[in-house]
Amino acid sequence: MRRFAAALFALAALAALTATEPVRADQLVTDLSEHQVAIRSNFTGTQILLFGAVEARTPGSRALNRDVVVVVQGPTRPMTVRRKEPIAGIWINHDSVTYPTVPGYYAIASTRPLEVTADPDTLKALRIGIENINPGTPTARAIDGTLQILPPDEENAFWKALIRNQRRNGLYTSLPGGVTFLGQTLFRATVDIPANVPVGLYTAKVYLLQDGEIIDTISSPLYIDKRGAERFLFRMAHSDPLLYGLIAVLIAALAGWLASAVMNRQ
Amino acid sequence: MQIYLPIAELPVSVLTILAMGAAVGFLSGMFGIGGGFLMTPLLIFLGIPPAVAVGTQATQIVASSVTGALAHFARKSIDFKMGGVLLIGGILGSLSGIYLFKLLAAIGQIDLTISVVYVAFLSVIGAMMMVESVQAIRAARGGTVTRRRGGHHSWIHGLPFKMRFRRSKLYISVIPPILVGYFVGTLAAIMGVGGGFILIPAMIYILRMPTNVVIGTSFFQIVFVAALTGVMHSLENQAVDIVLGFLLVVGGVIGAQYGVRAAEKMPAEQLRALLAAILLLIGMRLGYDLISTPADPYSVVEVEAEQ
Repeated sequence: MRRFAAALFALAALAALTATEPVRADQLVTDLSEHQVAIRSNFTGTQILLFGAVEARTPGSRALNRDVVVVVQGPTRPMTVRRKEPIAGIWINHDSVTYPTVPGYYAIASTRPLEVTADPDTLKALRIGIENINPGTPTARAIDGTLQILPPDEENAFWKALIRNQRRNGLYTSLPGGVTFLGQTLFRATVDIPANVPVGLYTAKVYLLQDGEIIDTISSPLYIDKRGAERFLFRMAHSDPLLYGLIAVLIAALAGWLASAVMNRQ
Repeated sequence: MQIYLPIAELPVSVLTILAMGAAVGFLSGMFGIGGGFLMTPLLIFLGIPPAVAVGTQATQIVASSVTGALAHFARKSIDFKMGGVLLIGGILGSLSGIYLFKLLAAIGQIDLTISVVYVAFLSVIGAMMMVESVQAIRAARGGTVTRRRGGHHSWIHGLPFKMRFRRSKLYISVIPPILVGYFVGTLAAIMGVGGGFILIPAMIYILRMPTNVVIGTSFFQIVFVAALTGVMHSLENQAVDIVLGFLLVVGGVIGAQYGVRAAEKMPAEQLRALLAAILLLIGMRLGYDLISTPADPYSVVEVEAEQ
């Protein structure tokens, strides 16, 4: 709660700033409530507050048809979508499609629904919106691993399934109306970071649109990383897998011996 | 209370995991099984990635089988010589299982393989044990004593490399125990089980070992095969979650001690019928999942960046 209070205080400071300073063009000023999210053993997800202000062209004038769109995107990685088909009565993974650069996390919030914010071509060109994510050139494979070419509508079904899956896990979210204006210039948006979030470097992009045209963009980084014991164990499991495995097994053997020793004494 | 698992990369409830560990540990102590065939599906059901469930389960099996082996060591009901021969096969089997696991995961058929293998083994062994124990219970009620088929000659006695196993009162070739060990070791690495539920019937029905040394010897062999499997899963797949493993172990070792004691107070044949029923039920549940239409036929996996 203290974090929110600090953020609100910053909002107020921004408001004072924008009221006094003369500006030339509509511009964005934004910040995040935190730039680092630490995943520790008690991590069960968090919320990040993005706040900012629009510096108006002429002080005091009310801008019409002004929209703010916030996109928070996670690190990209290759992902494979597999489709099960019934073969001899059993559901078996059959065709698969691999996308090389799929964001592990994608959250979009806007003042109004995207459809009325800008025309589809603009959104597509700027890759704004879950449907406009560019996952790279897909490779389709048959059950035996050989490359194959799928018709576009069928391949699209795999992409839709990936989005559906990510939405189900809370990793892809869209929130029309998730950006709210507080008065003329200040706006805020909260972004949910679920517990199963992938680690890495995130970017929070804020777009300012007027009459469907982008007039300013601002981008800030956000690090999500494991800390403390979680980081130590994860690092060790990957850099020293043999030692890690031996320790895991030894601890288990010791626990088994300890239990038997304790029970025998009773 | 929730805790974030560093390798599985998701938070779980500490109490749920402890309770699961204790419940499965109780059954494992009771029946002389690793309990993996119960725990692995439960972990996958909780949302733990299959590779992490299988790898982590190996450490839990080490703990529960060390406890079991020590209890049987005190009762002198372990045939170390037979255990050693089984272990040779088990080590080779575990190594091939790990590589098979990796290969199947790469082509996207590991989940299917795990399910099919579970269904096949659970239903066949469950049915066999059920028939056997029901017959034994009936025979006992009728007042007749079941005949032990110890001196029965089979094809096994024609094989070379014979060895004397004093504790088991057997003089047989080392080939069948090595093959049994190999087979169980492979399954152990793929399924995240100790393999007791296959090893024990194999020792009774194929090797014809006396029942009193079967459970102890199986525990002894499983300790080492599971330890190797755990280390190899860590080395090859980085799939051992030490935090999850520790929680399962704590629950498991406590449960197992009570299980061993409960087993002493229960009649052996009824116990066997109960285990057979559990095996059949899990087998049917997994089989149903294979043939019923999935909620979403599409599934998504992250791919390791190709190097």
